[in-house]
Amino acid sequence: MEKQEEINSNPGADWENFRDDDIMLQHSAIRDEQAHKILFLGDKEPLSALAAEYQSGSSILLEKIKLLDEKYCAIRRTRGDGNCFFRSFMFSYLEHILETQDKAEIDRVKVNVEECRKTLQSLGYADFTFEDFFALFLEQLESVVQGADASISHDELVERSRDQSISDYVVMFFRFVTSGEIRKRSEFFEPFILGLTNATVDQFCKSSVEPMGEESDHVHITALSDALGVPVRVVYLDNSSCDTGGVSVNHHDFVPCSLSNDGSSGLEINPYITLLYRPGHYDILYPK
Amino acid sequence: MVDFSRVQKELQECNKDVKISGISVKPKADSLSHLIGTIPGPVDSPYEGGTFLIDIVLLDGYPFEPPKMKFLTKVWHPNISSQSGAICLDILKDQWSPALTLKTALVSIQALLSAPEPDDPQDAVVAQQYLRDYQTFVGTARYWTEAFAKTSSHGMDEKVQRLVEMGFPEALTRSTLEVVGGDETLALEKLCSN
Repeated sequence: MEKQEEINSNPGADWENFRDDDIMLQHSAIRDEQAHKILFLGDKEPLSALAAEYQSGSSILLEKIKLLDEKYCAIRRTRGDGNCFFRSFMFSYLEHILETQDKAEIDRVKVNVEECRKTLQSLGYADFTFEDFFALFLEQLESVVQGADASISHDELVERSRDQSISDYVVMFFRFVTSGEIRKRSEFFEPFILGLTNATVDQFCKSSVEPMGEESDHVHITALSDALGVPVRVVYLDNSSCDTGGVSVNHHDFVPCSLSNDGSSGLEINPYITLLYRPGHYDILYPK
Repeated sequence: MVDFSRVQKELQECNKDVKISGISVKPKADSLSHLIGTIPGPVDSPYEGGTFLIDIVLLDGYPFEPPKMKFLTKVWHPNISSQSGAICLDILKDQWSPALTLKTALVSIQALLSAPEPDDPQDAVVAQQYLRDYQTFVGTARYWTEAFAKTSSHGMDEKVQRLVEMGFPEALTRSTLEVVGGDETLALEKLCSN
């Protein structure tokens, strides 16, 4: 404690004694500062708000935003704290259920959630490490179904998604599900993980999936989408352009293996979760 | 808020197989936010035979915030401060996850005792000794285990006292005991052969 005060009163004077603890304090101070600037989940904003960000910036990005404007009407931002993919996924999914009241989808996803629970058990996770997170997610899922005592409105869903004690628990639920899926199908995921980090599957799950604040990559999205059976569309907004000089906006659909392998290839899958990816960050996009 | 119902489950789970693992966690007093962990020194390491006490403080937000752990027992190890007992271990910092538990953290600390990482030191003096003079490091670590981590280690001063009474200088007696890891008979042989 004495050391900390010394550093605060005279920054940079005592770097030799600047310990890991001090660095952690500094990190959490920066996080807290961020937290005051951006909520876990922002309000729905028109796409023009996105264009305004780049007014004096890259013309390629502005052109791409114009293209986005043809298909999408709004954006909802999430806090850039490394959990943005999971927070975006959480709100998008629950908002979809709330709006459609799709009971069949709820029943289907519950079956998958129970499957994930069994996966974790068979991998040797102690029940008490994950059961609270599972329970909290299922509670949110129940609450968006209308007509019950515990039902919540859209406004309440937004409010809950901004409540750390709910949002962090759901993020952790997704991290458990993602880690379980990667470990269960480690042979499938291994080459992708090697391409990213040169780590083993176990190391990757321990260091890049299970800790809060670790950013998500295509490996995480694939695993979560597969485990829950929920397709996700990711729209990419970056500075890249075609060789011919033309500009187009790419997207990639993450289609769960349970949907892509069942032979009903004639059916086009239309993900109801659409995320906007800018290098290092995910926000929610709303199609027109 | 610390999630105390989870802490309760963790204590039960951890103390269930204490006979096999030797690892236990107990509340320090009435509060569940201040605990004491116990880990046996791993076999085939200079810490073998020692029992190490870890001070555990749970901050608000546990299990989202990592438990604060430090050695109460003095230990000579590159990644543990010989002064304060502070531990340099990634899972106690940014690599912590609610998927981990107090038990898994203590198991990781035990593994750290077996496999020091001198390139990422907490105690620079120990780390340098580990890299430059490994034999002296092993001797010192063993002596510290003998002196501080064994229930019989309170006997160290008496061992010194007995040898001093035989006529050996105290400083030499202590350093000799240190080299042989606290074995009184070996120390006497060494002192006599000088």
